[in-house]
Amino acid sequence: MRAWLVALLALPVQAATYWVVLAGLGGESDYEQRFSAWAHEAEKLVRGSTGEVHVSTLAGKDATAERIRALFADLARRVRPEDSFVLLLIGHGTFDGYQYKFNIPGPDLSGEDLAALLDRITATRQLVVNTTSASGASVETLRKPGRIVITATKSGMEKNATVFARYWIEALRDPAADTDKNETVSALEAFRYASQRTARFYESQRRLATEHPLLEDTGQGGGVRSPAPEEGSGRLAAAFPLVRFGRAQAAARDPARRALLARKEELEQKIDLLKYQKAAMDSAEYRKQLTALLVELARVNEELEK
Amino acid sequence: MTAALLLLTLSQPFAAAGPAAECRALAHRGRNIEAQNCFSALVRRPDAWARAEGLWGLGRYREANDEFRRAVAERPRDPDCRVRWGRLLLERFNPGEAAELFQEALQLRKDHPGALVGLALVAAEGFEQKAVGLAERALAADPGAIEARVLLARMALEDGDAVRAVQEADRALAAWPEALEAMAIRAAVEWLEDREPSAWIQRALAVHPRYGRIYAVGARFLVLNRRYEDGVRLYRKAVELDPALWDVRSELGLNLMRLGRDAEARRELELAYENGYRNAATVNALRLLDSARNFLLLDAGRFTLKLHRKEAAWLRPYVEQEATRALATFEKKYGVTLKEPVRIELYPDHEDFAVRTLGMPGLGALGVTFERAVAMDSPTARKPGTFHWAGTLWHELNHVVVLAAVNNRAPRWFVEGLAVWEETQASPEWGERLTPDVIAAIRDRKLLPVAQLDRGFVRPSYPGQVVVSYFQAGKLCEYIASQWGFDALRRMLRAFGERKTTPEVVREVLALPPEELDRRFQSWLDGQLRRTLEGFPVWRERMKRLAEAARAGRHDEVIREGPAVRDLYPEYVEAGSAYELLAGAYLATGDKEAARQELERYARAGGRDPALLRQLAELEATSGRKREAVAALERLLYVAPGDEEVHRRLGDLLLELGEAEQAIREYRAVLALGPSDVAAAHYHLARACRAARRLEEAREHVLAALEAAPGYRPAQKLLLELTP
Repeated sequence: MRAWLVALLALPVQAATYWVVLAGLGGESDYEQRFSAWAHEAEKLVRGSTGEVHVSTLAGKDATAERIRALFADLARRVRPEDSFVLLLIGHGTFDGYQYKFNIPGPDLSGEDLAALLDRITATRQLVVNTTSASGASVETLRKPGRIVITATKSGMEKNATVFARYWIEALRDPAADTDKNETVSALEAFRYASQRTARFYESQRRLATEHPLLEDTGQGGGVRSPAPEEGSGRLAAAFPLVRFGRAQAAARDPARRALLARKEELEQKIDLLKYQKAAMDSAEYRKQLTALLVELARVNEELEK
Repeated sequence: MTAALLLLTLSQPFAAAGPAAECRALAHRGRNIEAQNCFSALVRRPDAWARAEGLWGLGRYREANDEFRRAVAERPRDPDCRVRWGRLLLERFNPGEAAELFQEALQLRKDHPGALVGLALVAAEGFEQKAVGLAERALAADPGAIEARVLLARMALEDGDAVRAVQEADRALAAWPEALEAMAIRAAVEWLEDREPSAWIQRALAVHPRYGRIYAVGARFLVLNRRYEDGVRLYRKAVELDPALWDVRSELGLNLMRLGRDAEARRELELAYENGYRNAATVNALRLLDSARNFLLLDAGRFTLKLHRKEAAWLRPYVEQEATRALATFEKKYGVTLKEPVRIELYPDHEDFAVRTLGMPGLGALGVTFERAVAMDSPTARKPGTFHWAGTLWHELNHVVVLAAVNNRAPRWFVEGLAVWEETQASPEWGERLTPDVIAAIRDRKLLPVAQLDRGFVRPSYPGQVVVSYFQAGKLCEYIASQWGFDALRRMLRAFGERKTTPEVVREVLALPPEELDRRFQSWLDGQLRRTLEGFPVWRERMKRLAEAARAGRHDEVIREGPAVRDLYPEYVEAGSAYELLAGAYLATGDKEAARQELERYARAGGRDPALLRQLAELEATSGRKREAVAALERLLYVAPGDEEVHRRLGDLLLELGEAEQAIREYRAVLALGPSDVAAAHYHLARACRAARRLEEAREHVLAALEAAPGYRPAQKLLLELTP
């Protein structure tokens, strides 16, 4: 995963990330409150995490088709190809056997409507996180080369209200989601975190799981539950940063530290390469080489921190 | 045929009615070849009922069922034919449809004795109290109804009333001297009283030279009295005498499985299955045995642990610790040293545990003891906060020790009562709670006299009586310990071991008539619970108002009224308790200290909601009470041990308190739970190992952390510190 992350960190730092957070109709006051609270928490977390981030949130009665279309029209003018774009959908979704719909006040937005809106955004790197019920049915219409589609359910037949959104948002603030500890939570890490927590939720409640999240980022598949970049799925997601914190951002901006940073990235790539060779290596030799690389990497990081 | 029906075979005079009387008389005397010829001849008869009986006698059950359907159509007004069909269905594992046929027969002829006996048998299968009334009605309709008499004998013995069992069996024998089933009851009474019933065996074998069921009936009663090893011994004798008793082989298999002898169990169950005995228990048990590969058998010194692969790594240390603590406590208190290891099996799927115990799903219990084997739900089998696994483990291990002390000879009420009471001795926060059901039973004077208390466990007469009986038995032991000292309980146990009855033991040890014990106990209990009993109706009303105030956000009202409501029924710690509402109101008004104190009260009263206990731990920690925070989290280990976050937080606190070894255990649990953040789990374990001066392990884990996350700065720093 790191090999792709290294590529990510080398991206032009002036690129911005645009977020659109939509919380649809709850139907009941409990759901209304929950969806709206999740949407605003997501907005708060994203705003507080990285450099150039733009977040637009429409929740509850404000999330009408008209206002959503107006928002996308505005963004279509502002977002550049080198920027990243994230659409987070929270709420209820339906599937009638033919068409997925995102439930909002007034006429709902279908999967096709959403795809058309997204296609107007020129950002080449796009992420759609559809956390609604029946969201699995939206994969086919939303997928596209360069676009990551994450859904809370594996199909349109999983129609119960979901909890995936709760854990997806938790991933934006829980350092535990940053499993490779590079101070960046990628879309893949957040997906894995939220999927695992969702599964645990149902296990601990002794309830049959009624949602099975999917990730699709090849532009042609139906989505997978356990993406593996080394096998082709999850590569884009691994290289899509959601939140960054701490030194990663600062170091990239300091010319005096560029050499150290380059050495750091070289060591990280060597470690990645060594890990891929692990199965074919003598374990003592693997350990010896890994230890040496890790110690050196630790020292370089120490220098970077001074 | 189920274990209960083992008693009643084809040989009753009732069954003599109908076309197969002669054939069954031959079978009754063990003249099997002649009986088979006789049944074969019936199959060739033009009458559908005769054909049905013949096919049934030949073991061709499906065809027999079809013929009975025709027979009933041919004889729409004949209750006897319907009763016989019902008996076939009852024997072939379909009590529901059997009962319908018996009811139809009763509509055709009011008080048909055969139909009443059929319904009594169905009810007796489920240990329902109404079985006794039905059998008595059958006898009133036909005083010569031997089956009803034998059934009454059997139920009396199930209730522990050997005197009545003997009386009823003797009356059956007086009416029909060849009543094999009555002889089996008489023999069972002898075995239960540790005498060899040679005369009864001789008498039965004189009628039927291969009457293996006499052993099977005895085995069943020994098993009901927790004497599984003795039961297995008799089941073996039964199949030695008549190897084709497939239902008995199934029972033998189930009981071998209970004792943890899975390989032997599988052999017997497969034999039964392959020979057409495929009742639900046999099939379920074989399926469960097939799932053995999902479990690990772990040698833990004095214990053999059978844990599911997916949870063995993190669960083992906690189970081992509690089991060791419980066994040491009980061996010391009861003066027993177990020679063999105790087998402890934990099932993450409750239905697997139920099948392991009964052969059938749907068991309400949490744990069961089979001599030196304990089977119970794993903590993950139930929703977090709803199951105190350590309390159950202590309860079951108490059975192991107590029953070993008296070679399994003690009444159920005493054995259960001791175990319930011992849970509260381990910690006052453990044990049975005073639920509204129990309060209602005490208020309505539904507690049973001590001499009849076993009946509350075996044959409950109202819903919830089993739970009430556990509570009563536990309180009775508490009362005895408080008035006469623990030694009195020990002396009672010894006396029970000498096969004395409850009235005898009460008179001998407590120097009281049992009725006087009942009176004094009731008075003590009333005194102990007076406030709750009297305040209960008021509490319900005020609790409703308190909940409304909490919902409406009227925090001042909750804070003003809450303490008084809580104190009316302080044992109530279920969802929405006054403790919870008060803590919420205190937090909403910013009074964290009051919230902390309230949640402490909640925990001490036995509250187990994981969210509230976590909240307590955080309030303790943020107010600088790290020890108390650890205590709060340790409570969670007993009700929600599969929560990674609890172990991690506990590890952090223990490390801060300098208890590195304990912290290592918690961080190991985090790692074994398959955390999403593997790197952090290894890193924290590395920190704890370093604090415990286990430097090599610390280095291993910090490297593992960095292998997962090479850029993990805290781990990098630790690696440099650990690198010379």
